[in-house]
Amino acid sequence: MNIKTVKKNLFFDTKLGDFTDEVVSYQVTQEGSNIVLSVPLNPDNTDYQAIQEWVAEGNKIEDAD
Amino acid sequence: MTKAAELAKMGEVLTNSQIGGRRNILINGAMNVAQRATSSTGISTSGYYTVDRFQLFMGNTDGRVTASQVADVHDGFANALKLECTTADTSIASSEFFGVQTKIEGQDVQQFKKGSSDAESITVSFYVKGNASATFAVELFDNDNSRQASQLFSVTTSWTRVTKTFTPDTTGAFDDNNESSLVLAFWLHGGSNFTSGTLSSTFVSSNNVNRAAGISSFLDSTDRTFFITGIQLEVGSVATPFEHRSFGEELLLCQRYYYSIVFQTNNKYVGHGSYYNTSQLFWFKDLPTTMRTAPTLEIAAGTNYYTAYRTSNADGVNTFNISTATPDGVMFQNTTEASVGSEGAGAIIYTANDAASIALKAEL
Repeated sequence: MNIKTVKKNLFFDTKLGDFTDEVVSYQVTQEGSNIVLSVPLNPDNTDYQAIQEWVAEGNKIEDAD
Repeated sequence: MTKAAELAKMGEVLTNSQIGGRRNILINGAMNVAQRATSSTGISTSGYYTVDRFQLFMGNTDGRVTASQVADVHDGFANALKLECTTADTSIASSEFFGVQTKIEGQDVQQFKKGSSDAESITVSFYVKGNASATFAVELFDNDNSRQASQLFSVTTSWTRVTKTFTPDTTGAFDDNNESSLVLAFWLHGGSNFTSGTLSSTFVSSNNVNRAAGISSFLDSTDRTFFITGIQLEVGSVATPFEHRSFGEELLLCQRYYYSIVFQTNNKYVGHGSYYNTSQLFWFKDLPTTMRTAPTLEIAAGTNYYTAYRTSNADGVNTFNISTATPDGVMFQNTTEASVGSEGAGAIIYTANDAASIALKAEL
C-alpha cells in the first residue's frame, strides 16, 4: 500500500438519521492508483496497521468532509 | 493382538502419521487461484499481484518484474507463478531485496509443536525452473519469536522438485491466533544486508545478514525467469506427494484472505440494498467464508463506475466505503452521489464501467 491520503469516515446512526463523531473506517487513496481503500478500525487488519505506521512517520489523518 | 486391536492400531498410525489427514498447510500451492489478475507488469514494490496467498516482497531496487499465472503443464500441475525480470539491477545496494513469500496464521501451524521438547521437523517441497542455472534460498521465518532458518536450492531450465527439511525447533512457540506466525519465503535477490552473513539451515535468532547468504541475483539480467508451483509445507521429515485440492475448495480457502466481488467487469450485479434517506445508500454483502479479520474494501473509484437501480430510475455512483465490517459480512455505504435517490427505495447495485472492481482484503 502506497498511501497518498487518509481520511476519516464517520458512522451514520440510523436512529438519529445523521452522522455521529464515531469513526468507522479510514478512506485511503494511493499514489498512482484509482483503487481506493476503506479500512476498518481493527488492529488485526494489516492495512490498519500500515496506517498506524504511516501516522507514526508524522503523517496526518484528515477529518471527514 | 486381536483383529479389533490391529484395526485400531492402523487407524492410529494413519491419523498420526503424514499419511492421514490434510498434509499441505499452504493454500494455493498449485497456483490455481488468481482472483486479482493473471498478470501484472512493472512491479517495483511489495504486494499481492496475481496468484492468491503469494506476495512479492521487494524494495530499494531499480529492478522491475512481471508476475504472471501461467499454464505450464507438468507433473500433474496446470499452473505456475512465473516471474520475469524486465529491468535489470546489476548494481546491488546493501538494502535491496526481492522474493516471493506466503504467510500462515499461528492457529494453523500449532501441529509443528514448535518451542516444545517434542517439536516436529518441517518439510518444504516445491517445483521450480528458470531460464538458466541459479541458486536461491528458501526461508522459514518465525514472526512470533524472530527466528529463522534458510536453505539454498538450485534452479535449472527443467522442472525439478526441491525438498528441504528443517530440523525441529524447540525454542519459541507459535502464537495460537489469527496473525502471521510463520512465513515461507523464497529469496531471489538481496543486497549485503541480507547476504553477507552465513546461512543457517537450523532455526536461530534472526539476523538479516544470514537470511539469503549465497544466492544468485534474479535481477541480474532481463533474460531471467523463475517459475514455481506445487509448494507444500508439512509436518515431518518426509516430503509426501503434493496434496491436490479441488479448485472450489482452494478458492474458498483463499477467500479467507481476499474476496473479489467483481474484477474489471461492466454491467455485473454485485449486491442489493436500500436508500435510508435521500442521501444515504446502503447495501450489504454476506461473505462466502469467514475472513481472517474485518476486511478492507478495495474499490476502483471513478465517475459513475457503479449504478444503483431503484424505482424505475438509476443513480450513477462513483465509489462506496465501509459502514460496518465484520469477518462475516460488510455493509457498504455511499453518501455523496445518492442524493437523488428516493427514501426507502430498494437498490440493485451493478457495475457500470469496464474498470469497476470491488474486493475485500484481510491478508496477513
